Amino acid sequence: MSVATLAASVASPRKATAAALSNGILIVIALCFLLPLAWLILASLDPDASYRTQIPANPSFANYAAVLTPGLTFLPLWNSLLLSGGAAVATVVAAVLAAYPLSRYTMRFNKPFMYAILFGTCLPITAIMVPVYSLFVRLNLIDSMPASILFMAATSLPMAIWMTKNFMDSVPISLEEAAWVDGASAMTALRRVVVPLMRPGLGVVFIFVFIQAWGNFFVPFVLLLSPSKQPAAVSIYSFFGQYGAIAYGQLAAFSVLYSVPVILLYALVSRGMGASFTLSGAIKG
Amino acid sequence: MHRTAKLAVSVLMATSMIALAGCSAADTGADSKTLKIVYEKTDSFTALDTLFKKIKPEFEAAHKGVTVNLQPIQANDDDYSTKLALSQQSAETAPDVFYEDTFRLRSDIDAGYLLNLDDHLDGWADWSKFNEGAKGAGMGDDGSTYAVPLGTDTRGIWYSKPVFTKAGIAVPWQPETWDDILTAARKIQATQPGVVPFNMYAGKGTGEGTVMQSFYELLYGTGDSLYNENDQKWVVGSAGFKDSLTFLDTLYSEKLAVDPSDALDPNVWKKVFGELFPKGQLGGTVEGSYTPSFWQKGGSYEWPAYVTDMGVAAFPTQNGDAPHGVSMSGGWTLAVGAKTKNADLAFEFLSLALNKENSLWYDINNSQIAVRTDVAADPTYLAANPFVAAVTDLVSVTHYRPATSDYPKISAEVQAATEAVITGQMSVDEASAAYDTAVEAIVGSDKVTK
Amino acid sequence: MKAEQIAPTRGANPGEPEPVGSGSPGRPESTEGGSRRRGPLGTRARTAARLLPLVPAVLLLLVFLAGPVAWSFYGSFTNAALTGKEARNPQWVGLENYVTLFQDPVFPLALWLTVVFVVASAIIGQNFLGLGIALLMNRANRVVGSLVGLTVVAAWVLPEIVAAFVAYAYFSKDGTLNQVLSAFGMTGPNWLFSLPMLAIILANVWRGTAFSMMVYRAALNDVPIEITEAAMIDGAGGSKRLVLITIPMIKSSITTNLMLITLQTLSVFTLIWVMTAGGPGNQSTTLPVMAFQEAFRFSDIGYGTAIATVMLLIGAAFSVVYIRALRPGKG
Repeated sequence: MSVATLAASVASPRKATAAALSNGILIVIALCFLLPLAWLILASLDPDASYRTQIPANPSFANYAAVLTPGLTFLPLWNSLLLSGGAAVATVVAAVLAAYPLSRYTMRFNKPFMYAILFGTCLPITAIMVPVYSLFVRLNLIDSMPASILFMAATSLPMAIWMTKNFMDSVPISLEEAAWVDGASAMTALRRVVVPLMRPGLGVVFIFVFIQAWGNFFVPFVLLLSPSKQPAAVSIYSFFGQYGAIAYGQLAAFSVLYSVPVILLYALVSRGMGASFTLSGAIKG
Repeated sequence: MHRTAKLAVSVLMATSMIALAGCSAADTGADSKTLKIVYEKTDSFTALDTLFKKIKPEFEAAHKGVTVNLQPIQANDDDYSTKLALSQQSAETAPDVFYEDTFRLRSDIDAGYLLNLDDHLDGWADWSKFNEGAKGAGMGDDGSTYAVPLGTDTRGIWYSKPVFTKAGIAVPWQPETWDDILTAARKIQATQPGVVPFNMYAGKGTGEGTVMQSFYELLYGTGDSLYNENDQKWVVGSAGFKDSLTFLDTLYSEKLAVDPSDALDPNVWKKVFGELFPKGQLGGTVEGSYTPSFWQKGGSYEWPAYVTDMGVAAFPTQNGDAPHGVSMSGGWTLAVGAKTKNADLAFEFLSLALNKENSLWYDINNSQIAVRTDVAADPTYLAANPFVAAVTDLVSVTHYRPATSDYPKISAEVQAATEAVITGQMSVDEASAAYDTAVEAIVGSDKVTK
Repeated sequence: MKAEQIAPTRGANPGEPEPVGSGSPGRPESTEGGSRRRGPLGTRARTAARLLPLVPAVLLLLVFLAGPVAWSFYGSFTNAALTGKEARNPQWVGLENYVTLFQDPVFPLALWLTVVFVVASAIIGQNFLGLGIALLMNRANRVVGSLVGLTVVAAWVLPEIVAAFVAYAYFSKDGTLNQVLSAFGMTGPNWLFSLPMLAIILANVWRGTAFSMMVYRAALNDVPIEITEAAMIDGAGGSKRLVLITIPMIKSSITTNLMLITLQTLSVFTLIWVMTAGGPGNQSTTLPVMAFQEAFRFSDIGYGTAIATVMLLIGAAFSVVYIRALRPGKG
């Protein structure tokens, strides 16, 4: 990106007009994207909020105070953390293990496996929710947190394996060879040499899975039934169904509280290495 | 940084492990002595929650070592029944005692979700205090009883006396025909712009409310019905069905009801009772006998003036024919889950919740029509609100929904037909034809009759 | 995690110009690194040992992805239900669900709406808007660029259900969009009621464009600057450069992006469920909404599963087309 910016700044006057035009168009686009979010922020600070976007007449944190109760916010957020954290950990562990042989050995098995993985990346998860529900009933896994965690891990696993393998491919094999000379096994080499080197990449995978699971509504909505196990996505939905028509401000405050963790995580990962950079690792062609 | 990240990951991993272990340990250990009670709770329906919270310590004190696990599901009726049905599928999640709408009973009895209560009821002295209608409500096709009603309800017209008076209509008001309703509504429209003259639910958003508090009052006043009990066949292609749709179409197209887009909002009724009536912005609507529970002290939309401002009238038949009124009745029950491991305890909890004292409290606070004869005769029940006598009278003209397991699907088709008509997506004939096709697809062509 | 601490390890990232055997979707077998190790003594046992680390992933995938897919095919041939006597004893009903489905007047509508939704919001909306923003960002001021990136990404990072509420508020009758329109002297329609498809399409473009934007930014960064400069010297104009040089260079990124956004959009449920619940009537009932309603609202699990199976087949067809397009020698 820096090269491109440099090229733009030393360019001709004609290019300067193009830059100004680009700036203008981009600002308009940014405004369009920002507009819907304005309501969320303003309404969360407005005790008399409605669906209209308005500057709060009496801005206050009353909405936040109202929703910051154990039952409404803390327990669901904790459940979300368990669900997303568990899914992300399980995914990363399984993906690293799986990526190692795929990246390091040439086997007849690799190609069909990677195609299967790619195909798995494409599965519309919504489509399998009805059968997943039936399957969970048969296996007696309905309302089980661990099973839901593993299911969420499985849904993001194809993408995670794909990303992890690409990250791992870029770790030079020569470093491991040194470890092998020292008599270390493949697994030891993986743990001592490869994983530490690709830690930023794994961080990216972890956070991507985490963010995806954090925002998921449909999976816990169908698979978890006890109110005490519901993550924030589901509790916010019942809040909307019950109070949405009345307590817009609280709904907005609740939404903000629920969104902040993933926004922070995202900021973390993108400050570290740039979001686009990250994705290029994921799906680079 | 690396160390911190490592730490964070291991902490997370550890916590999830603990959580996993914790969950499974709790599930297996306490199972045999825990009663799981599943019921609905919304911001406008808290009476049952309050009742259960009150009797939980009583019950636990009387039964040492038993934990009552209250699981209120915070959802509207549709979402509640989805969640309940989902939980019924496996023994791990199925409730011991649950709250169930009468119209889903047959279908859920067929599914094997409800425990046959015959033996338990035989040993329960209070059962004789329940009236015959109530006993029938919880009965399956096999003649056994599977559920005990909490109360019942009727439906009638609730109208705002100030709005009617301002329009020059004499109160108390009792329409004799459908046209009387339209005439009154048009008068209100002409005299009070900004006031919704007469609202009736329509569309899928209000779910069962659309049929129970709107369409069936119309249909059962035309002489036609939804289901022919004698032949056990569903009625299609009836003139009454079309006339009923036409009436709704008139209400909505003349803007006598709320805007169609508001009508599709599942929360429209909150607007009706929380906002429009108290502010004098609505002439009338069709709603259940439980309506005072919204407004009375402790209700969701407290409005003391409802006692004087509101009036109740029977919904008329189409052309003023006998019996000069139409009402629908439903109601909710408590049932014991068929997969329960503690059937006796579960029944004891149910009978405690439905004893005289608790039934009386619930019927008053949720404005239910009592199904226990001793409650019905209790002076505090009769004095609970000024409308008890009027809505109880409607029992004489009331109808019940067909108690078949196909009913919920048919009901959804009726709702779809009303939605198609009020949104202008289909004409009355088209919507009625689409309904006929759908019903035939659901029950088979041998189960429909013209 | 701090930026400067990650930067030195960047070498471990495939964003670097020459990663060792950077596996591409088309060449998953290109792992030269390992071949050096594989001697003539490679036995079955050794292969098995090497495959061992794959076991957890394979197990997870088999149980939770392949299992439900297989179950989906099986379940769609039964009349399993949530209530009624079918709930007690589901029966094998053969093709009955599919026969009903193809006669159901809602099905062709739902199929059509799904296609409209995917084509308009993903293939046209997100894809072109994403590409456009990425291209403009390369020319624009750096601050403006990152600011725009931030706002576009914000909608994407929000949890799905929050994004859905925000879109619901934005398009509602008294919502922000109509407020803006009335500021310009226009009276906006009641979007969710009169133009539900347009509303959910715009909402999905708003929510999903970030993904395409990031993919294309990454792809454009990898286009060597010398090539575009060479073309500039040859006198190729902006649009000509774009069509002749840039687009062919990022072709595989385009295909990959199209594949991913198509399939993501195909399974969008929450956004539609919160905004319109498929209504009014069935005017925004896409296949996922229809499957949910049939299975969980009308308790007909077998029928809902049949709809899900059709969705799976559509998704599979799309993936096969895209995966073929990504094959080496074609791109």
